[in-house]
Amino acid sequence: MLGKLMKYDMKSMFRTFVPVWLLAPVISLMLGLSVRSMIAWEKNSGSALEFSGYGIGLITIVMALLFTGVMIGLTVMTILFVIQRFWNGLLKEEGYLMFTLPVKPWELITSKGLTATIITCISVVVGIFSCLLLTVAFTDEFFLELMSFWSYIKKDIGEIGAVFWLQAVLFVLLMIAGMVKSIYHVYAAMSLGQLFEGHRVVGSCVSYLGISMAFSVIMVVLSIIMNLVIPEGWLYDYYNYVNGSAVTFSVVYMLFLLLITAVQIIVFHIITERILSTRLNLE
Amino acid sequence: MGGILIQCQDIWKSYGKREVLRGLNLQLESGKIVGLLGPNGSGKTTLIKVLNGLLRVERGTVLIDGEEPGPYTKSIISYLPDKPYFAGWMKVSDLFDLFEDFYKDFERGKAEEMCRTLQIDTGLRMKTLSKGTKEKVQLILVMSRKAKLYLLDEPIAGVDPAARDFILSTILSNYNPDGTVLISTHLISDVERVLDEVAFLQNGQVVRQELVDDIREKEGKSVDELFRDVFRTVPFGGGVW
Repeated sequence: MLGKLMKYDMKSMFRTFVPVWLLAPVISLMLGLSVRSMIAWEKNSGSALEFSGYGIGLITIVMALLFTGVMIGLTVMTILFVIQRFWNGLLKEEGYLMFTLPVKPWELITSKGLTATIITCISVVVGIFSCLLLTVAFTDEFFLELMSFWSYIKKDIGEIGAVFWLQAVLFVLLMIAGMVKSIYHVYAAMSLGQLFEGHRVVGSCVSYLGISMAFSVIMVVLSIIMNLVIPEGWLYDYYNYVNGSAVTFSVVYMLFLLLITAVQIIVFHIITERILSTRLNLE
Repeated sequence: MGGILIQCQDIWKSYGKREVLRGLNLQLESGKIVGLLGPNGSGKTTLIKVLNGLLRVERGTVLIDGEEPGPYTKSIISYLPDKPYFAGWMKVSDLFDLFEDFYKDFERGKAEEMCRTLQIDTGLRMKTLSKGTKEKVQLILVMSRKAKLYLLDEPIAGVDPAARDFILSTILSNYNPDGTVLISTHLISDVERVLDEVAFLQNGQVVRQELVDDIREKEGKSVDELFRDVFRTVPFGGGVW
């Protein structure tokens, strides 16, 4: 049933995002090429300012505005859609349809969460790809510098081998886990917010801040407890234990961060699921 | 008649400090059309939401076909809420896809046939349809299922008499005869002719549950007249014009 739910959640989001995902790299490429033309013009004919009122100069300005607009649009749209699909899809009129489907509330939440994560990941990839495309399009030097940087660090990668790739994978996983945590944080806040009859939006914002503060307090308390429990100088001892290897140390540290993030995701999911299962308050 | 389909025993539900269901007891058999009748605020919508699993009771037992509200009971209940529940971006055909995916008892051919009869284009998006057409689509979706239990919350409220006739005839000609139809309404004279049984709700309790034929036989009154007797209130100032 989760797959079927995701099919509809994907459909609702993709129809809005696909045009922007396609538009972003096209605008980047056009902006990059117009900047390249302007630079070439400047080299051949003198100041670009003299030219700015005409042809390529005007196109470049328009492209730059479009590029900025698309990038801001992509960011704002992604954030708004993650919020809107949960709010409208589960907590308003559509909730009457979704919560009477023969599925469990955790499946509804997971479907929204997974879809939002996929959409956010694609938006991030599109954003990075568009920026790279822009740079590559307006100068050849960037690509050459990227290649020389890669061959420079390749030697070091060769020395630490698999650990580098492990670090890279852990880094990406941490980014994704951080994203999922942020999404579930918003979900938990909205689930709490819907309990505030007549003040649901304000309730959600207050809940969001409340949850953030609660987690900050918990983290401080935990770090105090850890300081009391773990013997002094353990970090130094551990550093020696891994033979002073900063790489191994960073892997362990990233695994620790991943664990903390996973725990937060689980807590947010449980809060959301319990509230929507027992205290659903549809408009 | 079939076995027990709905069993509510001493159920309590409140919104904050306001108690809406107060120790409600109700037992309904399969194969009947039942009117859930009561004035505004008597708890009809809350009871329907409890039965379809949108709300959870604080105390008491709710069993549908022998099970507590959950995925199984939702799979056998066809629910018509008192407001449209569509996503505006969806086409009518998308909704048919969704119902086909989630409900084994959904008869797509029947739904498409009903759309053709009513000249509703299934390729149109919900946000482009008029309020009346949206309500028709919702009714088509609900009545195209061969459900064990139909929960219809105020299906004829806020529509003109001609539309009421259309809605009632659609329900009568399309429901699963082995299942039970529970219609909540306060427009009794319009639905009376289709009901087998009625349950009167007052202050969150069932104050009377009886077969319509028995009411006519014993009381010599129509359900509408009995309803007015049961829920009669003295107008402000004694009703003197």
